[in-house]
This record gives sequence, C-alpha cells and structure tokens, in this order.
Amino acid sequence: MNLLELKDITKIYQQGKIEVPALRGIDLDVKEGEFTTVFGPSGSGKTTLLNLIGCLDKPTDGVIKFTDKELEDLNKHELAMIRRFNIGFIFQSYNLIPVLTAFENVEFAIRLIDGKNEKEIKDKVLKILDIVGLAGLENRKPNELSGGQKQRVAIARALVKEPKLVLADEPSANLDSKTSKEVLEVMVKMNEELGTTFIFSTHDPLVMDYAHRMIEIRDGQIFADKKGEANDVSS
Amino acid sequence: MFLVKLALKNLVRHRKRTFITAGIIAMALFIYIMIDSLLIGINDITYNNLINLESGHLQIVNKTYWEEKDELPLDNLINSDEIKNIKFTNIEGFKGLITELDFKANLNNGVNGIPIIVKGINPDNYKNVFSLNKFFTEGEMFSKGDYRVVMGEKLAELMKFKTGDYLTLLIRTKNDTFNTIEAEISGLLNSSNTNVNRNIVYLPLDIAQRALNVEGQISHFIIKLENKNIAENTGLSLEKKINNINDNLGVYTWSELEAVTFLKAKQSVNQLILLIILVIAAIAIINTVILAALERMEEIGMMKAMGLKIKEIIFTFVLESTGIGLLGGIAGILIGILGVSLLNKIGIDYVEMFNIDMASFGVPIIEKFYGAWHPEAFIFVFFFGVFVSLISSILPAYWAASKDPVEAIYHR
Repeated sequence: MNLLELKDITKIYQQGKIEVPALRGIDLDVKEGEFTTVFGPSGSGKTTLLNLIGCLDKPTDGVIKFTDKELEDLNKHELAMIRRFNIGFIFQSYNLIPVLTAFENVEFAIRLIDGKNEKEIKDKVLKILDIVGLAGLENRKPNELSGGQKQRVAIARALVKEPKLVLADEPSANLDSKTSKEVLEVMVKMNEELGTTFIFSTHDPLVMDYAHRMIEIRDGQIFADKKGEANDVSS
Repeated sequence: MFLVKLALKNLVRHRKRTFITAGIIAMALFIYIMIDSLLIGINDITYNNLINLESGHLQIVNKTYWEEKDELPLDNLINSDEIKNIKFTNIEGFKGLITELDFKANLNNGVNGIPIIVKGINPDNYKNVFSLNKFFTEGEMFSKGDYRVVMGEKLAELMKFKTGDYLTLLIRTKNDTFNTIEAEISGLLNSSNTNVNRNIVYLPLDIAQRALNVEGQISHFIIKLENKNIAENTGLSLEKKINNINDNLGVYTWSELEAVTFLKAKQSVNQLILLIILVIAAIAIINTVILAALERMEEIGMMKAMGLKIKEIIFTFVLESTGIGLLGGIAGILIGILGVSLLNKIGIDYVEMFNIDMASFGVPIIEKFYGAWHPEAFIFVFFFGVFVSLISSILPAYWAASKDPVEAIYHR
C-alpha cells in the first residue's frame, strides 16, 4: 500500500522578481515500510522534496497524497495533526529546545500524542535514549552535549512516537561512522519491526548502503530511482 | 502541562531579560502606585483643608444665594434663628453648627487697599466647626462686640500690618451705601490653607451685621460632621427637614464647591499621566515577546514540524509573558507598599525640595505632602500588569506561531 503518492509536483520559489524552480514535475510513490534515500548535488531539491512530503510546505503545482488523503485539501490544523501523529523529523541542525534536557526534548514529542501514562512515557523515552547511546546523559541540556549527541537526541525525538514516516535531512552529518551505524541499526530495526517508513536526504554512503531504494535527484527532477536489497553492512 | 513547564523554563532561560522586563513592569506599577497615592494624599489634604478651615461638611444657604455665592451678595441672606427648631444633635455624625456672614471688602492700611473676603463669625463657637485657633502665630481670637479682627500672616505681611495695628475695611452695605469698619488686629494666623492666609479677614458677626445693615442675618449655617464620607447622605436627609421649615433653603456638601469640582476635573489629567505609565509597561512586554520570538524562530519551526498547533505555540509565549507580568506585578506591589509606607511616614516637603508655593498651582496646601493608602490601586495595577502582559504578547506570539514552518526552521 502506498504511504505517499506525489504526482507531477512542481515547487517554485519566488526570490524578488525571479522565479527559482526547485522541483519540476516529480512523480513518486512510496510504499509503507520503505527505507529510502534521496540523494543528489546541493541545490538539486532534496530538502524541498522532504519538506513537501512532511507537510511543512505546499507544492506550487501537483498533488500529494499521504495515506490516500490529498494534502491540498487539508487546512493548517489538519496538516499539523498529520505531522504530530504520523511524521518524525530529523534535521541537520538538530533544532532541539535549549531549555529542555535530552530527556525532556524526547518526552515533548511523545507528550503531544499521549499525555496520560507517565510510566510508559518515561520507559519509552529512556529506552530510546539508551538505544541512541545517550544513557546517563538524559539530564543534560543541549548546550552540554556534543554535536553528535545532539543529533542523537533529535533522532530519538523523531523515533520515540513510532511514527508512520520518518524524514531525515542529513541525519548522519554530525555523527562519527560508529554512531551513525548504531543509529541506522535502530532505524532499520524500527523499519523491520514496526514497518516505519524512512526517507533520508543524504550524501553519506553509509546511509545509502542501508537503503532499499535510492532516488537520485538532479535539477529538481528524478534522475534515477533504484530499488533493491540493502547492502550487507553488518561488518 | 508540558507546555506550561516549557513556558516556565523559557521564563528562566534568559534570567537577565526576564529580570529587566519584570523590573520595567514593576517600576511602571510602582510609579503608578506612588503617583496615585500622592495624588489621593494631596486631594485628602486639600479637601481636609477646605473642610476644616473654609467650607465645613455641609452648608445651609438660600438656594438663590448659592447660585450667586461667588459674588458674596447681601441679598437672600438667612435669619440666624431660621432653623432653631431643628435638633441637630439628632443628626447622624453631627459635631457642630456655626453661623457665618461672608462679604467682600477693601482692606486698607492708609496707603494701599486690596480686595479681600471678610467672614463675620461668632468667636464663642467657631471652634466647633473650624480649627482656626490652633493656627495663631501671634495674638488671640477676638470676642463678641469687639472692633477687632484676625487675619492671615501673609496678608498682614503684604499690607505691612502687625498685631495691635488698626485697619480700615471699606464695605458696601445692604442698602448699597458705603461704610467703613475700623478695627484692631487681635491676632495673626498661619494655617495650612493658603486662602485663609492670604485673602480672609475674620470679624465678630455682630459687628459685621451692624456695619452691613443686615442685623440678625447670616449668609451660611455651617455644619461639621464626623467625617466627609457621610456628608452626602446626611445632607439629603437634613434638606428634607429644613425644607419643611423653608423650602428656599438648600443643603450643600463640601464636594459641591467649585474648588472641589476644579480639583476633581484635574484628576482626569492625572489619570492620563497614569495611563501613559501603563502604556510604557505594555511596550516593554511587547518588545520582550518580539525579541523572544525572533530569537526562537528555528525552535518555533521545529515545534510546528512536530505538529504543535498555532494556539499551542501562542499559549507557551503568552504563558511566559504572563509569568513576567506576574513577577513584575508582585515586585511592583511590594516596592509600592514600601514606597507608600515611606511616603506616608516621611512625606514630601515640596517647599524645602523645590522652593515653590503650591498655591500658585491652585493647591491650597502649605504643609508637607503625604500619600494615602489606596488598596484598589494595588489590586488594579497588579491585575493590569498581568493582563497587559497577557494581552500584549498575543499579537507577537501569533505572528511567530503563524510563520511558515520551512521559513522558521531554515530562518529564511
């Protein structure tokens, strides 16, 4: 079943009087449980594509369907609810909330969808922090964490609510290869066990090695769309 | 609850900024409380001066006389035994009743003359209503039938008089003829009422009546009550009784005097000043919220990406501002209590501080200014501080929360 359907998507940014096309006629279907990377040179439209898929932005033209719902028809509130319950974001610049600890940053995401079961929330948050390698650092604030640790908090925040879709913009950019691998393993596990769909925008070959599908974008168009098994990266 | 926790954490995120903004609010509220206290204190002193030395709490006069009272006419006077059948001691809060005959005269020292007001009074009971006796700096009060007067020290100074000197009062009688009164100065006053000090000469009532050819007649009955707050109700019930005897007579309260009306009119200007102070506090809050929003744009973008609704983001900002308002409000109230306590205890000696005469500004006070407790002002400014903080943060918070999430995240 398709989680996402993009039909003839165009996105044009207006910079003063100049129109800058970021995406030109993208057609894309993403099935539930796919582990996909989107790659391409800088400025090719990867981030724009992720923003459109994540209901953060609207296309200039074309149709996007998320779980068969046309996003065009939804208002801001409905789009916010889709993001809240279905989508986890990992941004390159972490975007953690500085006044909250690592635990609270992760807790925040789950509180938005479940504010009742205290113990369950606490266990979930501690578990995901442990998985991303932050056990013992739960009470540190973002300014007390390294870049890699912050990115792990951001990843934990995106994963903790077990969304249908995780969108990750260069998630391994600030991680060493060992941590990248550990975190990717977590994502693969979630993908396999929960059927979570992952879409990465990345240049990192390691991330591409894990992907089942690789979409290359050039000049705002899909240049190549390769489907296949992930490489064996266990070694 | 988590959003409340986030708002509280944001409150202590920039302690200095929170402290400064709360400080500005506290200072604005403090200034409001102090000015309000001082204005009420000045009003109280001014009203008490009027009541204790000029007007009393209630005046019984002929209704036509009241309309022309500024001219101090000799028409429409009242017989001094007109209301002798009324038992004033039965009136709630009654303290004293006197008679007075006010008229215009020209005070002459043999070289110069100036227009003044003369009050014909009964020296035996005048103290039952007016506290003139405690302001004598020289000499003494005259007795009935004496050709002697009492006047303010300032007026005596102006006319180069001293106790024991003789003066001439040039007057116009009821029959529109001129007459003069030669009298000795028996005493000088320095009261807390500038009008008494500068413009008034006191004379025995019987001498005044004889000279004006209005024997047995007075211009006012003046009544003192326990306090000024009961004047209006007491006045109304008294007027009913008096009108049974003579419906040409009216009972007027101290607050119906033009001087009081003028002071009350000035209060609207004071309210405007106080409003400006409160607007400054509102601007400080709006500024803080805008700065906070600009600084946290990426964070707001992330919140939107996580699925927070616009109203939830606004809620965190508004809660944070309200917290600042609460802190500022509490601090403002505390320093306000301290300030008003000091103001009430020490007072402001404006003569010593600024070397000015407030009489020039129409404020008949020559003593220190003291504040007055006005609990309503404390309650008002506290809630105002919190309310303004809340309201003034909504618009900038809405602006921040409505930002396109992509623009916010990537700070475009």
